[in-house]
Amino acid sequence: MSRPVQPTTGGAVHSQRGGSAIRRLFRIYLEKPELAGVALLLLLTFVFEIRSNGVFLSVENLRGILGLLPEVGLVSIGVTVLMICGEFDLSVGSMFALMPVSVALLTNAGVPFIPAMLLGLLIAALVGLANGFITLTFNIPSFITTLGMLFIVRSLTVVITGGFPPLLASELPVGVFTQFVGPGGILRASFIWFAVIALIVGAMLGGSNFGNWIHATGGFVDAAAAMGVPVRGVKMASFILCAVLAGFAGTIQVFRLGAPLPSIGDGLELQAVAAAVIGGTALTGGVGTVLGAIVGALLNRVIDNGLVLSRVDANWFKFAIGGLTIFAVVANSWLRQTARRIKVEL
Amino acid sequence: MLIPSFPSSLRQILICAAFAIRSAGHWTGALVLSPMLAGSASAAEPLNVVFTCHSATTNSFWQAVKLGFDDACTKVGAKGQFIFVQTEGSIEQQVANMQAAVAAKPDALITSLVDNNAFVGVLKDAGEKGITVISSNVDATAGPELGLREAFIGQNFIPAGTTLGKRLSALFPKEGPVRVLVGVSAPGQNWAEQRAQGVMNGLEAFKKANPDRQVTIEKIDSGTDLAIVSDRVGAYLNAHPDTTAYFDMGFWHAGVAKVLKDRNVPPGKVLLGGFDLVPQVLEMMKAGYIQIQIDQQPYEQGFMPVMEVYLKKNIGLAPADIDTGEAVITPDQVDSIMALSKQGKR
Repeated sequence: MSRPVQPTTGGAVHSQRGGSAIRRLFRIYLEKPELAGVALLLLLTFVFEIRSNGVFLSVENLRGILGLLPEVGLVSIGVTVLMICGEFDLSVGSMFALMPVSVALLTNAGVPFIPAMLLGLLIAALVGLANGFITLTFNIPSFITTLGMLFIVRSLTVVITGGFPPLLASELPVGVFTQFVGPGGILRASFIWFAVIALIVGAMLGGSNFGNWIHATGGFVDAAAAMGVPVRGVKMASFILCAVLAGFAGTIQVFRLGAPLPSIGDGLELQAVAAAVIGGTALTGGVGTVLGAIVGALLNRVIDNGLVLSRVDANWFKFAIGGLTIFAVVANSWLRQTARRIKVEL
Repeated sequence: MLIPSFPSSLRQILICAAFAIRSAGHWTGALVLSPMLAGSASAAEPLNVVFTCHSATTNSFWQAVKLGFDDACTKVGAKGQFIFVQTEGSIEQQVANMQAAVAAKPDALITSLVDNNAFVGVLKDAGEKGITVISSNVDATAGPELGLREAFIGQNFIPAGTTLGKRLSALFPKEGPVRVLVGVSAPGQNWAEQRAQGVMNGLEAFKKANPDRQVTIEKIDSGTDLAIVSDRVGAYLNAHPDTTAYFDMGFWHAGVAKVLKDRNVPPGKVLLGGFDLVPQVLEMMKAGYIQIQIDQQPYEQGFMPVMEVYLKKNIGLAPADIDTGEAVITPDQVDSIMALSKQGKR
């Protein structure tokens, strides 16, 4: 196919190509709201690297951040999927404790590792099922259902342990989740699990019928139902996925730290929702991505870690975390609006 | 008051004697007091004792206090109720729980007093209703609350912190610069601030004794979640590999010990010390990563107030202060303590 020759100078061609490239860049940007988070992440990394005299990006420090990321990242992914389909789960922090504590108690009681893990996942799935069933059957806000479940599940965790943390049996093959892998041992095996799960969920959300159903259900539930989307089943599956990911994440953390404390994951629900929103997930449902959830969770960890390295005073620490989090969301929103405006002008 | 300034050791002997008599029940060959004690407890209405605290059920330390309280109530035939708050450290929830408890007019109210002013109203109300009030675990540091409770049973945080500071600093290398990190687990809360103050006192004493050595002391908001504490202190250790010691105001340095172990840092290179016993701390002591731990015997903090209430109601003895101590635990004691710790009694 021949192209018509344009009577323009070389400079103009270059400018047009440049304009087209910018336009394309912003189109990509607008299609992927989580990229604003990535930009912020890069900015903060740069600032913290300088403030910490190069320690922030050292292998040892990255090991620390990347060790905790799979745990908070998996919870954020589950919460994001659920938020996209228009629901909330505030019980993830409690589920984060119930599954590992259950697995620890089961293995201490002589149940082999793999059946204990499967039973733990089943418990998590049942909690997710209960969340979904109660919310959908009685048509009440999931915010309330899962707030109740937050207390119920935490209480169950305390009841089954008697309030005292069980010891984790030393012969468990936890290395499959915790051993160091990759160049220089910078990653833990849990990161591989996390990456694989993120890819699967990401592919499911972005490239499958089920992913479309999740978006449609959260975007406009009545229209989705009218189009034949099984909205009840979609929501139920999302509740279960969210609870299972939270339980699995907590189990990884307990294997890493070796301490199944009944208190772990306290307050994690807010962190996970914050990560989802920072990563571009709409509180109203219908919009959001797995990458956004990961970026949001990573941003949270980077801020926390960077502030320690910046030697922020103990009494000002929470102020700094709060301030940077608000800054991150405001900057995110500003970048997005600016991108939209530039696109219109172009 | 019959014996307002009774020495605590003699008092404990009396309490134990009374307890032995009560336990014996029908043992007629006992002391002259025995018929009166046994008779009054069995014939009269059982004692009604309520314990309120500022902690949530997930806190293993407080579960040990509860266990002591429940055991004591069983032994003296008292009707006991232990009330936790839903949110760790929530004073307003604790006040509401105390108001509800006082409204039911129990014989005694045992409570932690984590604030000098918040509880004045409800304690006055309790006094007017003739309810015996004993503070346990944390006492007011000044103000009217001190006159509204009859005794305090627990640890004095500042001296306990000083002991930890002095004992761990005695293990510092004999020459060269020293860098110490103090993790204030919950900035703004009496227990954490006072322990940190005590630790600083101990470290200042080290500084004075070694005027020619360079001593750097830094404080951070270390947090009360094992994963977060591990990450924050781990980041600090990356930035300052020359760190001599880390002091935690609770037991969360168990996670830091795990980080050091994972990084193949030999035990004792970074000295670790903190407060309260959980099995995970004992494990890390055994592995050589934690050198000193201060135990305040929570079981006793739950048990003894009930005994004092029992003695007051049945014999007329005035409740008196008991220092549950600042027991210094070192790795050589771990094996004997582990069994008690697993039972939640130590």
